[in-house]
Amino acid sequence: MTPLDILVAAINGTPAPRIPIFCNLLDQGARELGMSQREYYRKGEHVAAGQLKMNRRFGHDNVWGLFYVGKEAEFFGCDNILYAEDGSPNVGDYVIKSWDDIAKLQVPADITAHPAWAETATCLKILREEVGATHPICAYLTASTSLPALLMGMDKWMELLMTGPADLRDHLLDLCSQFFQQEVAAYRAAGANVLVYSTPFGTHYFVGKKRFESFSMPWMKRDLAPGGVGGIVYYCGMAPFNEVIPAVMDELDIAIHYISPLADLAVAKSTIQNRLSQHGGKGLTCGVIDDIKLIHWTPEETRAEVKRMCEIGKPGGHFLFGTGVMPMAIPEANIKVMLDAAFEYGALP
Amino acid sequence: MLDRIIKDYNDAVFETDKDAAFEVVNNALANGLTAEDVVFKVVIPAVEEMMSDITRDPDANLAQHFMTAQIAAEVTEKMLLKFAHPPEIIGRVVIGTAAGDLHSLGKRIVMGCLKALMVEVLDLGVNVPAEKFVAEALNYGADVIAISAMMVHTATGENGARKVRALLKEQGLEDKIKIVVGGAPYRFDNELYKTVGADGWAADGIAAGKMIVDLIRAGKAS
Repeated sequence: MTPLDILVAAINGTPAPRIPIFCNLLDQGARELGMSQREYYRKGEHVAAGQLKMNRRFGHDNVWGLFYVGKEAEFFGCDNILYAEDGSPNVGDYVIKSWDDIAKLQVPADITAHPAWAETATCLKILREEVGATHPICAYLTASTSLPALLMGMDKWMELLMTGPADLRDHLLDLCSQFFQQEVAAYRAAGANVLVYSTPFGTHYFVGKKRFESFSMPWMKRDLAPGGVGGIVYYCGMAPFNEVIPAVMDELDIAIHYISPLADLAVAKSTIQNRLSQHGGKGLTCGVIDDIKLIHWTPEETRAEVKRMCEIGKPGGHFLFGTGVMPMAIPEANIKVMLDAAFEYGALP
Repeated sequence: MLDRIIKDYNDAVFETDKDAAFEVVNNALANGLTAEDVVFKVVIPAVEEMMSDITRDPDANLAQHFMTAQIAAEVTEKMLLKFAHPPEIIGRVVIGTAAGDLHSLGKRIVMGCLKALMVEVLDLGVNVPAEKFVAEALNYGADVIAISAMMVHTATGENGARKVRALLKEQGLEDKIKIVVGGAPYRFDNELYKTVGADGWAADGIAAGKMIVDLIRAGKAS
């Protein structure tokens, strides 16, 4: 079976030789090709080549159309990206500096015609041609309720959200939702089939129950309504979200969840399993290792954690082993140990 | 009457309702409470209540942290203008995000709490070089340098807290100025703060306020 077949089998609960194993190696591609981060992310063919090389070496199942999270801000006019040689590029200057700037903000009429899309499209084209028939291709899409943080900074967004004028807040959210709807359609059309919906405000870690129901849920419904939830993975930026899984499955119809390492994986798994029948028996619990600890874990500690996660996740099927955004400080030997352990403990009878 | 005021203020903060919180404060003043009473008997206990709520209540969330800190800072700032005598300041802190990091929410929450807890705070902004942290701390007479970092490389890299520690050591300032850190990487690995040379860390912005106050008091006691 191909990695793509194995992923589909895990979602459907049908037989497969092992669980799917996702490893999110992004910035490491620059090192792989002997380039600076700035040079690496300048061209789509670099991002594709770096990933394909790592994929052949480590053997994990997935590749990414994602360059760096801040790239979404470029569609709104951000032209200042802060590069580092030891970590992910970051938005270097916010396009919204005052509330007055929100009125000037525009969503491109067609994001696929925007210069910021060109290299992503090139990367996706290469990945689709090289491994699209065999490997899942992931995309990262920021929810309308969280995208403002990339445009104005999280504290300014929180201030507008909590204390600002509702019409201005809603105007910004409307623009962000329009952008999301275009972006998800563009990634689907370009061949991405695992669509990671990043929605930190979709968890009680960010907002309380009442605001989740009155604010986050309606905007998430709006984001997802036009394109549906096919291939959508619920992800809250590594924040725990076990409490909202029932609502997300019932109201948004999303049955694939990327669980925080800070959450109780067993609780997440049983919550999702108990609702699979409402989703035609399809769904997936993605167990995510704490990859910050991978920086200093011994091989024994790494193997023990992978084993623990697989022992929780494998019974009953519908389980994937995954990572966060693997920091560059993780020694390559630890990546290898983690993946070897995932293939060993993720084997299915 | 005070119990009622405290309850109404806490309810408003819990509901993240800034207008309601200010209404409680204004009514309290109209009913004879002094500005000092408002800060020391209502606002500071509310911040402390939120600190313990965070450990008790799994539903305590970032929005509540943010609003607790903002409301507390604003009320305190307004009340300080009405104080009969200047309050005793516990200490001074310079705060900023590490070099290469623009994530400012945690910093803002910590600043709000510290202001309400009678700690003077100088905000150095975002993407702050290590040299600036140390130079500004010296100019300001800071007891503590607080460094926020949301990304692994800005938390653990050579240009963040590690470099601040090296500079303090180089300049013989380690006994005088303490380093505290906060941000997501430290929540995922609770021992990480030691490896970057920090004297303390906190899991969230509200708890950071108390940790920093304790650190300042311990430093002054020794």
